[in-house]
Amino acid sequence: MNGLLLQAGSVVALLVLGYLFGRLAEKRHYRRIIEREAQMQSLPVVASRYPPEDRAYQQQLVTGSVVIASDYFKAFLAGLINIFGGRVTPFESMLDRARREALLRMKEQALALEAAYVFNIKFDTTRIATGKVGAMEVLAYGTAMIPMAGTDGNAHEV
Amino acid sequence: MRYENRLPAEGINTSRVHPLRQFLQLAVGAVVLVVILVVFLQYAGALVARRIPFSYEQRVMERLDIEMGEAARHPEMTAYLNELAGRVSRHLPMPDDMSVTVHYNSEDVFNAFATVGGNLLFYRGLLARMPDENTLAMVMAHEISHVLHRDPVAALGGGIASTIALLGLTGNAGTGMAGQVMNHAGVLTGVQFTRSMEVAADDAALAAVNGLYGHVNGASTLFELFSASRDRQSSLAKTPWLERFLSTHPLDEDRIARISQQGVEHNWRSDGELTPLPVDFQRWLAVD
Repeated sequence: MNGLLLQAGSVVALLVLGYLFGRLAEKRHYRRIIEREAQMQSLPVVASRYPPEDRAYQQQLVTGSVVIASDYFKAFLAGLINIFGGRVTPFESMLDRARREALLRMKEQALALEAAYVFNIKFDTTRIATGKVGAMEVLAYGTAMIPMAGTDGNAHEV
Repeated sequence: MRYENRLPAEGINTSRVHPLRQFLQLAVGAVVLVVILVVFLQYAGALVARRIPFSYEQRVMERLDIEMGEAARHPEMTAYLNELAGRVSRHLPMPDDMSVTVHYNSEDVFNAFATVGGNLLFYRGLLARMPDENTLAMVMAHEISHVLHRDPVAALGGGIASTIALLGLTGNAGTGMAGQVMNHAGVLTGVQFTRSMEVAADDAALAAVNGLYGHVNGASTLFELFSASRDRQSSLAKTPWLERFLSTHPLDEDRIARISQQGVEHNWRSDGELTPLPVDFQRWLAVD
């Protein structure tokens, strides 16, 4: 009986901790994502497969990846949703953050290369750990178009 | 066309649901679901299992040939326990086709139990603490009452039905901790059933003891012994209502109170003379 109470207590404690820290981390992360998205807005990223032909560019692969794991509360809630069905909302925000973070990291790389565009953007997601330790990687990659010195053209025309 | 690099609006890829609200709704829903399911299956499983004829239950147990007790090494103790079971049975409304077999086990376990096929197992750990025959007869009558009420087979039937259902509900991959919590909720619901069986067995046993000795003195000694042994163990759950809810058996003090209340209701004497255990009882206990 003591074991049962201890287990119940630890589940409640982990749920509370998972919820509080998970919420805090998510709020902070979203704030930083929105901030950085505004900062890096000047760099266009497009899914088009056709590169601009207005001037000569050097092309280079840029990637941004992020590995994410859910907190205890999110995993527990997802388990409950698994029984009844419906949208797994706790993972929606988690994956939304991961995709946007991966894109931002990719943009950072592209900006460091002084790219004018990144085109042919793609997302990839992989489960990299299963069982008790669940984690996923979200990878964003594309082709950075870096204007060659001495050529001219309007960088913002596609 | 001029390219415009606008940021998309927030909240398109996420749902606007408060996680705590969703959690509460689903958790309450899951627990209610489990409780309803287990209550239904315990009832239904027990109902079906109780319809299995006792003779069939006995035949199955004989065919399984499970080694119970140590009759070869302890023939005298085994014979005495069976003789006492016979005397007690005469004061219980046993059907003609029902009989019990008592087995003795020399392990130091403070317990005795009844299982399917009318088999009772008594441990040395329990017998060594019996102060008189009246106390032992109460334990014996309690266990025989379980057989009489078909509790072992009912618990087995109800238990199997609800375990399979819980496995189906929570055993699928991905439910993880939520599944475990639901399993515990199911087990706790099941426990509420065994407690009502214990109370019914106590009531029947007390009537049998009164029939056998003409009084109920010594009937509550067992629970006083249990209570004392439990007090020595440290327990996190000292809150009575919690202990009541989590335990498979009623609380010792509740059982003692019920025994004295039953005695008053039926006008049973509680001051009769106690019958001593057989002279050789301690010698039988000492055999290894």
